[in-house]
Amino acid sequence: MSIAPSSSTGGWRARLSEMFPFDWELLRIAGAEPIPHHLKRWWFALGGTVMYLFVIQVVTGIALTFYYVPTPEEAYASVGTITTGVRFGWFIRSLHHWGSHFMIVAAILHMLRVYFTGAYRHPRQLNWMIGACLLVVTMLFGFTGYSLVYEQLSYWGATVAANIAEAMPLIGPTAATFLRGGLEVGSNTLTRFYVLHIGLLPTVALVLIGLHILLIRLHGVTELEDEGQPVPEEKRFFRFWPDHATTELIVGFVLMYLLTIMALIWPAGLGPAADPTHTPEHIKPEWYFYFNYRLLKIVSLKVSVVATLVAGLAFFGWPFIDGWLIKRKWGRELPLIIGVLAFIGFLVLTVWESMT
Amino acid sequence: MADDETAVGEPGAASESPLTRRSWLGIAAFWGGLAVGYGTLAWQYLAFLLPARTKPRTRLLFAGSLSDYPVGGAREVHDLEGNEVLIRRTEDNLKAFSSRCPHLGCRVHWEYEQGSREFFCPCHGGVFDADGNPLAGPPAQGNQHMEEVKLVIDEASQTVYLEVRDVPHQERA
Repeated sequence: MSIAPSSSTGGWRARLSEMFPFDWELLRIAGAEPIPHHLKRWWFALGGTVMYLFVIQVVTGIALTFYYVPTPEEAYASVGTITTGVRFGWFIRSLHHWGSHFMIVAAILHMLRVYFTGAYRHPRQLNWMIGACLLVVTMLFGFTGYSLVYEQLSYWGATVAANIAEAMPLIGPTAATFLRGGLEVGSNTLTRFYVLHIGLLPTVALVLIGLHILLIRLHGVTELEDEGQPVPEEKRFFRFWPDHATTELIVGFVLMYLLTIMALIWPAGLGPAADPTHTPEHIKPEWYFYFNYRLLKIVSLKVSVVATLVAGLAFFGWPFIDGWLIKRKWGRELPLIIGVLAFIGFLVLTVWESMT
Repeated sequence: MADDETAVGEPGAASESPLTRRSWLGIAAFWGGLAVGYGTLAWQYLAFLLPARTKPRTRLLFAGSLSDYPVGGAREVHDLEGNEVLIRRTEDNLKAFSSRCPHLGCRVHWEYEQGSREFFCPCHGGVFDADGNPLAGPPAQGNQHMEEVKLVIDEASQTVYLEVRDVPHQERA
């Protein structure tokens, strides 16, 4: 009973590569991807920033699930235990808390950069649309995440959100019942939000991020249009590995540093526990929903829901609207003006809400 | 793609530049800083996942009066987590044992009624005598004794107290 000895005469490296027959040359070629020179500046590395923050959220989130209990009776207490009872619990939770805020800020900044450099134009329309979905997924992460804490903000935020969903045309009532898992916010809602937050949304996000990066690699990073002197080829590009990877590494470390400072100065707190019988006098969602919250206060529910849906659809399909505008000879200025106005509108609603 | 590659040079070209002491220090500080920073975070992360091994707080639990324990008999009481504790009285002393079998943690039974006056573990057939000493089965092979639980007897009032692990109200059985 013996097996014929391997014919390999090489050392352990050769034997390993026989066991794992992968052409490492491919990795070297992928690593040598030319990166346009403007990516040396950190504000062009914002997409990678969101990605890094996503990894932080996954790592800290997995740790939090070790102690979190997704039932209405125990959710709030378990978050309390994490914050005050478990070693470094306050820190891990604060990193997760601030990571979510940073992630939304970075995603918005990344989107603004892509918009105002026109990087969404043909042939990159599809990647803009994937990015738009990722922004929505990120905000859903935020929403389901703060609902899990099961403090007053969580409970009433979930209630209001389900009722907003109910006001959607056609699918409203079904969507609201699906979200709540019934007619009222309760234990079914919490389980659903938990599964969305730690299962479904991460999976969707991973697939979308994969497609997003794949498309970037297939198209190559957009080169900025330079109106000055033509630049020689070797000055226009640098290598992904190790040059750009080092930039990302440094950006990641600075982020970790900032998150730690935020966690130290403003650790994630805990508001009053959810009370289904009493809505607190002052209640607001997280800042990234302020624009919608303010809109709800100034127009009727139907109008605000329809307006949000229309704006969301326009945002999603923007590359095509933009292409149509350019074809109509409305020039390249109009998309810029629309972009500035839309962002100012978002800012005004957000700041307005934060001041009241 | 291939053209671009030649344009940006071969990987490893950067490392061909001679390493001066200054650049060595820079590289060491860079990677050392990263390692220390992320190492600290990794330590905190692992500490978070691993619950602290602090000695649990105990409290005394009323376990009846001495007259509740007939000589030669045993009684089952429950600690605050709902686990059985077996209290057995001989002519000269009172002993309490955790019902947790020292072999692999199943619950042992006191078989007084059956007349054997032994503790029996149904999982792997462990048998212990009235003092918790192993008689047969895997505990006897491994010389594993039943764990004793501390008893406090108040002579004045003739009452028995059990020292058990304290748990918050909502976790009590």
